[in-house]
Amino acid sequence: MASVIEIKNLTKKYGDLLAVDHVNYTIEEGEIFGLLGHNGAGKTTTILMLLGLIPPTEGTAIVNGVDVIKEPLQSRRHVGLLPENAGFYENLTARQNLLFYAELADVPDKEASERVEKLIDQVGLDDKRGVKVSAYSRGMRQRLGIAQSLVRDPKVLILDEPTQGIDPEGTQDIRKLIRTLSKDRGMTIIFTTHVLYEVNKLCDRVAIMKNGAIAGIGTIPELRKQVNADEGEDFEQIFLRYQGVV
Amino acid sequence: MAGMLTMAKKEFLDIIGEKKFMLIFATLLIVILVSAYQGGLSYSESQSATGSFTFESGQGRGRVGNTTGPVMVFGSAQSLSNSLESMITNFSLVGGVLAIAISFDTINNERQRGSLKTLLSYPIYRDSIVYGKYLGGLLAVTMVSVVSFLGGMGLFISVTGIEMTTDTVLRLAMFFGVSLVYMAIFLAIGLLLSIVLPSPSTSLLASMIVWLSSIQLIPNLGYAIGQILYPVRMTFSQTGEPSFTQQTGFTTLRTIISGLSPSTAYENIVNSLLTTSSLEFTSGTPTVTSISVTTALMSSLPSLLYFVGLLIAIFAAAYVVFMRQEIR
Repeated sequence: MASVIEIKNLTKKYGDLLAVDHVNYTIEEGEIFGLLGHNGAGKTTTILMLLGLIPPTEGTAIVNGVDVIKEPLQSRRHVGLLPENAGFYENLTARQNLLFYAELADVPDKEASERVEKLIDQVGLDDKRGVKVSAYSRGMRQRLGIAQSLVRDPKVLILDEPTQGIDPEGTQDIRKLIRTLSKDRGMTIIFTTHVLYEVNKLCDRVAIMKNGAIAGIGTIPELRKQVNADEGEDFEQIFLRYQGVV
Repeated sequence: MAGMLTMAKKEFLDIIGEKKFMLIFATLLIVILVSAYQGGLSYSESQSATGSFTFESGQGRGRVGNTTGPVMVFGSAQSLSNSLESMITNFSLVGGVLAIAISFDTINNERQRGSLKTLLSYPIYRDSIVYGKYLGGLLAVTMVSVVSFLGGMGLFISVTGIEMTTDTVLRLAMFFGVSLVYMAIFLAIGLLLSIVLPSPSTSLLASMIVWLSSIQLIPNLGYAIGQILYPVRMTFSQTGEPSFTQQTGFTTLRTIISGLSPSTAYENIVNSLLTTSSLEFTSGTPTVTSISVTTALMSSLPSLLYFVGLLIAIFAAAYVVFMRQEIR
């Protein structure tokens, strides 16, 4: 499989704070990649650099063959983002919000309209498509966020806490959607979460970040092996070992 | 530029769909219509009235008439500027508020809502957001200005029956243009504050302070500083009668400092552009001298340049700060 994302020596300093510390890895096409770590470990900074939204202090990243530093606009055409606590235009309906984003992504009008309707159905907001977002629950907003991240039909999807605030049934739907996007459409998905059970269920590979650096990377069995975890230890304990807590 | 027009369209539709916008727009329209009607009546009265000369006031503007009968107004008082004085003042007050109400939360609302990061993740330049949002606001204030001016001027013309010569049309067109720049300045101030300050409530407060400074603080400051640096001189005549003389530097300094306020600069420019004639005294005899559009324009040129420069400087500051802000 071809690499869709190549992260090369990516580093970010905020004054004396080393937010991301010389990170190197690649992510394959169609892979579901979990980016884990405590708050402040450097996950969001890495994501923002991947989108070309903040300049790295050192290093670069290549997304679908495009350098995010040299051609940030071009690279963003290939990436969809669901940020943590994503907000929407409250005075607009789900459909209107998505059409606006489709226009920003230069999706032709007719295609945008069809795609938006399909996405609304896909994330389970079909009975709420004409309702203003101000009346949406947190879970409904999160579903809309996922639809928004897909509106430009990206090659890479970055989901920051995608199941946050969603009920168990909804969470299951989202997981199913993530799997479908990855397996059927070959979409590469990077997602961050604090729900380790979810990582175990979904991810092909995982990177664990600690103080801006990669503490461990690989499949879950590989990670288990790297820290010599016992057979009985679950992924939560493995994660805590990487964080130096256990 | 990628995404700019999409942003502008959305911003414009959002603005005109808001209740606060409709409320201030309606207020502005009513105020403009009332003041245009009153201005029209005063202009008509001045045109039809006759009377003997009694000079009443100085400062380069003459008002002549007998003290009991109808007053005949001439000199600069006969100009459009006098008839439209209250319209100009009201526009500077309510127009500024409207522009601030539109722009005070332009960027920090996006940030607080959590939609700025999403917007920036799209394949658009960061410039497009700031340009698009400003353009959307500008379209909204242009719409407001066009409606207010057409309404106000239509009423003024129908009340006065004033002949629409090329001169008058040019002056009114310039009045409209300057009013638009005035609103654009407050729009840029709101935009800048929405970028610099984290929450909409703080930027609203700061915008209102700037607006109050423009209409009250800076003009009063000009007066106060003028008084401190050029105090009134008291002299005694040979008979011992005291007389008070205002030093010449006072007026100059006060005019310069007050002119720094966008509201005062706006009123000065518009008054100057709409002044069609002036009253001069030759050997004690009052004479009316016409002021051409070109002369009016040239006399207000320094203020006009300052006005446009101020707009560019504020918008440039907003642009630079927004472009340099890191997204976290």
